[in-house]
Amino acid sequence: MSWQIFRTKYEIILRPLVVIIIALAAWELAARSGLWSPILFPPLAKIGSALWAFVSRPEGFTQSWTTLYRAFGGFAAAAAVGVLLGMLMGRSAFVAGLLDPVFSGTYAVPKLALFPIFIFVFGLSSLSKIAPIFLQCLYPMTIITYHSARSVDRVLLWSAQNMGASRWRALLCVVLPATLPYIFAALRVALPVALIVAIITEMISSVDGLGYLVTYSLSSLRTDRMLALVVVISLLGLALDRALVALRNRLVYWEKLDTYYV
Amino acid sequence: MTRTICALVALFSASAALAQEPTLIRFGRGFAAEEQMWLMSARTDLTPNQGKKYQLKQILFQANPERFQAYLAGELDAGTAPGLAVIFARAQGVDMKIVANICLEAAGPNWFTTTYMVKDDGPIKSVKDLKGGTLGVVGYKTATDLWARAGLINAGLVPDEDTKVFSLGFPAMGDSVRTGKIQAGTFVEPFYSAEVAKGGLRKLFTARDAVGYDHELLDVWFGEKFLKAHPDVVRAFLADYVAVTKYYLANTEQAKRDLAKAGFVRTPVEIYVKNADWKRDPNGRLDVESLKKLATFMQEKLQWLDKPVNVDAMVDQSYLPR
Repeated sequence: MSWQIFRTKYEIILRPLVVIIIALAAWELAARSGLWSPILFPPLAKIGSALWAFVSRPEGFTQSWTTLYRAFGGFAAAAAVGVLLGMLMGRSAFVAGLLDPVFSGTYAVPKLALFPIFIFVFGLSSLSKIAPIFLQCLYPMTIITYHSARSVDRVLLWSAQNMGASRWRALLCVVLPATLPYIFAALRVALPVALIVAIITEMISSVDGLGYLVTYSLSSLRTDRMLALVVVISLLGLALDRALVALRNRLVYWEKLDTYYV
Repeated sequence: MTRTICALVALFSASAALAQEPTLIRFGRGFAAEEQMWLMSARTDLTPNQGKKYQLKQILFQANPERFQAYLAGELDAGTAPGLAVIFARAQGVDMKIVANICLEAAGPNWFTTTYMVKDDGPIKSVKDLKGGTLGVVGYKTATDLWARAGLINAGLVPDEDTKVFSLGFPAMGDSVRTGKIQAGTFVEPFYSAEVAKGGLRKLFTARDAVGYDHELLDVWFGEKFLKAHPDVVRAFLADYVAVTKYYLANTEQAKRDLAKAGFVRTPVEIYVKNADWKRDPNGRLDVESLKKLATFMQEKLQWLDKPVNVDAMVDQSYLPR
């Protein structure tokens, strides 16, 4: 039995690695085939060397922090505002009637299209990058929270009301815990979006951050450096997601995520 | 039987026609200062070899890295690029050679040179005053970036430390300077004329001032494999190119009107024809010495290159008409 558990546990960890190893092997084969320029398809050793050069210098951490700080800034603001709006919309027909058409109507708009306006309003500082991150993350946060708050089991709410809970207390003690798993789902949707938007805005207009380094590497025709940055961004995204799942499992202890892919 | 013979004859004729089809040149072009190159497609009557010795397919690219990536992916045979971009590419081992000049950054009242402007009533009176400020360029490691850094270094400032060098699109440059988002910006035609007409901006320095000598801005490059495989095609192409350049220099206004009519330029035609133009060599000859100086500057002052680049090896003017 214990062998079974041991095997299952390691299988869960190793299974995704198989895909990664196959992908890396395919890349290396393509790089060595001579079919494509090594400038476009640098071998893994060259990417690894560029990755080491990045992580072994303090500048690498400074630039990563710059991107993370922007991503977190927009993400945190979107999480706070989105949860509040979603809750209000979910529990008040008036607020939902007011805001639902706005969110539904503009959901598909790529908020990055507004980036020039943000630059014009906020200048070239980090704020012009944080604003589109906030806006892009606000939508999944608000909409997922809204729908989860709306679908809270009525029996639970009636029970709370019967026991004399006020509207505010019912919201805090019934609606919030019931929606918390969905709020974390929204956070998991919004977090990579925050990172993506931070990097794209830095690629368009910035003098620092990982996105800036990606553009700089491309301008220098250093695909190896650019791909090393892609690895760094992937690892950051993975680490942030794992941290969020760990936090979720701690806070939403009654409904743990135990599938291998979370 | 008759049908089979007919089919064979048709097949033979088709393959013979294909064999006689002139070689296609897949050419990556840009969106500014390449008038004579565009004219080759807009006015094919000026290019007697086109359609006979070569076919030309021009493909628009917004930036140099994408153009070079397309070349490396085997999607282009040739293209236009700033000399310094080709220096970068050669430094990374890209097998391409510059074969002709398109235009230069040159001093003189007859030529336009890329201009850095500041707010007319602002506090920036000289480049030194940019300390603590931000200077807008159109992309990192581009020619506009090089000139900006050269200008700052000349004034005793350290780029990125004393003055930020910020990437911004040409269309946003004017308003960004006026509203104080950046303290100085890069202006090329047609944006330069449009912004000067609006008023409120003043010249701080030019690309020519920053570097200190006339130098190559844009050039025509070819892939080395294509040069080796089709030398006569390249010669025929460059013969037409030089003929078109001479026509353009002799009939600039008409040529510009033709380009506007063909959709190569979106600037209102009356503004476009009046814009000052960059210096262009009528014979497409290159100022190789200026490329050497740029390469040295890129390596020694800007640390943009890890090792020196052999400029003589990246230039081949032997395909140009004598």
